[in-house]
Amino acid sequence: MNCNEIWVIAETRKGQLTRSTCQLLGAARKLADQKDLGAAAILIGGEQVHADELAQKSPLVLWLKGPRLEPYEAMRHLHAIWQLIEFRGRPAAILAGASAAGLEFMPRLAMRCGSGYASSCIDIWWEKTELTARRPLYGGRAYEELALLTKPALVTVRAGAFSIPENLSVSGKAETISIDLPENVGLTLVERKSTTSGKKDLSEAVCVVAGGRGMGSPENFKLLEELADVLDAAVGVSRAVVDAGWMHHDQQVGKSGKTISPELYIACGISGAIHHVLGMNTSKVVVAINKDPNALIFENADYGVVGDILEVIPILTNALKSCKK
Amino acid sequence: MKFSRIRWVQPIYVKEVDLKLKIGVLVKQVPDHEAIVQVKSEQEVDIEDRYVCSFFDEIAIEMALNIQKNHPGTELFALSAGGNKAVDALRRAIAMGIDEVEHLGDESLKAADSNYTAQILAARLKTRQPDLVICGKQAGDDDFAAVGPMVAELLGIPHASAVVSLDIDPDTGKIKIGREVEGEIWHLESGIPLLVTAEKGLAEPHVPMVTRVMKAMKAKIPNIPIDELDLQDHKPQGRLRRIRYDAPPSRPAVTMMQQPFPQNVSELVNYLQQKGVL
Repeated sequence: MNCNEIWVIAETRKGQLTRSTCQLLGAARKLADQKDLGAAAILIGGEQVHADELAQKSPLVLWLKGPRLEPYEAMRHLHAIWQLIEFRGRPAAILAGASAAGLEFMPRLAMRCGSGYASSCIDIWWEKTELTARRPLYGGRAYEELALLTKPALVTVRAGAFSIPENLSVSGKAETISIDLPENVGLTLVERKSTTSGKKDLSEAVCVVAGGRGMGSPENFKLLEELADVLDAAVGVSRAVVDAGWMHHDQQVGKSGKTISPELYIACGISGAIHHVLGMNTSKVVVAINKDPNALIFENADYGVVGDILEVIPILTNALKSCKK
Repeated sequence: MKFSRIRWVQPIYVKEVDLKLKIGVLVKQVPDHEAIVQVKSEQEVDIEDRYVCSFFDEIAIEMALNIQKNHPGTELFALSAGGNKAVDALRRAIAMGIDEVEHLGDESLKAADSNYTAQILAARLKTRQPDLVICGKQAGDDDFAAVGPMVAELLGIPHASAVVSLDIDPDTGKIKIGREVEGEIWHLESGIPLLVTAEKGLAEPHVPMVTRVMKAMKAKIPNIPIDELDLQDHKPQGRLRRIRYDAPPSRPAVTMMQQPFPQNVSELVNYLQQKGVL
């Protein structure tokens, strides 16, 4: 049985819908309109406030409710979505953010459905009747465009790939679907420990300020945090900083860390080695500050400042503060 | 002895806890992250002939070796599904310390999608019946991060992706996992069997000893052809089709700030305002 819809699996973080979810809702609606399909947001567990917010952004919300649906776990999420598919039919496509959760459960769902799955994509469109996705290969040294040939087509999408459309508002309706989840499915969550003490999330940030070994010491990162505050930015770090034990791996930008696409990326004291560059070179605007005029980072930047970051950053921070006023 | 087992979906094999742990490691040979990659046309990519065992798979190998160190008697084996190059990833596994390796398939697997690759690996794992399967979070060529979770689904066992810590108690079959989620580490508990995909930080791959490197070079790597594997689905393709390759977007040449700070900080601020990112 097929159902003529495109689904977005909604994700919440710290009690709010992720930016990725909102971006995908816009993308799904556009794709659905182009082929006369319906668009639905799928909420698994969650609160009334999430369902209400989704109903303002999606014409239809399918709210899956039942015991043990929270907290998120890959097998339980899979079971819930599969029950929905058996109940409602196979949608044309299922989209999710390429977050830790999305990258974990979507391939499992693809195997369950026998579906084609494209991960960490940066664009999706229709080519004739086939849903097509664009994604990086070899860490971003090349790109491929894949046609998804099955129903449903499954895609995880990188945060920042789509912008939230201005006219996203709609008065959608929410439908509740009861999910019967047996006990003892999947892993047991014992504890969640914060690593970045409530700072802004790197993958979702519109603006990122990143520091490398050129910052000199972990104490100097305070300067970056002040700059980040003024810009409402997240703080990223290079691999060298993580390897030196100054910062935690989950702030690392680069091939063995996170690949991000913010609107603005300010690289401070970062040499620009390929493994770092591959993690941020899809940023819209890149500003590099480094005391070495021959640093590789300048080859991947739009705007370069040669200078001592410990001098430059506070000056820039103050200039931006007064600019805000 | 009791252990936690998934009851609603039966794993396709059932494990009883015995004192000897068995761990399967899945590895893949991929282009080095510094190899030059050039998109020649929409259908062709030229890759410099520098191949290595995928970065995260080496972490998986090291984790398996660490468990063996802590629990002597643990059985380790490594599998690689792929074309002829797959054998080199297995030689790396031998060099690092896993003696038992198997190459599954042949050159035809170079064109296989994640679903089919997972089928091949799962078919072999079903026969080998490990307590724990460890593979890299994603492979350095397509960065799909799909085969691990797909294998877990085929085996009907739970899995955790991007694992940064793992502790197994062979007496109880209980496994403690730390998983990296945005800004947090989630601490989870599982029984056996379990599959995890390795994230940076799970283990630090060591440099292999020369004696083992030489042993790896001389080793005869057993091959298991596809038709000897009991696959659930025999479709190597048909789910995805690559339409074209494309070169990465290039950035126009950098604009360097003309005069030093602090005099011209306004130049930078104006630039950012113009670009609409403030």
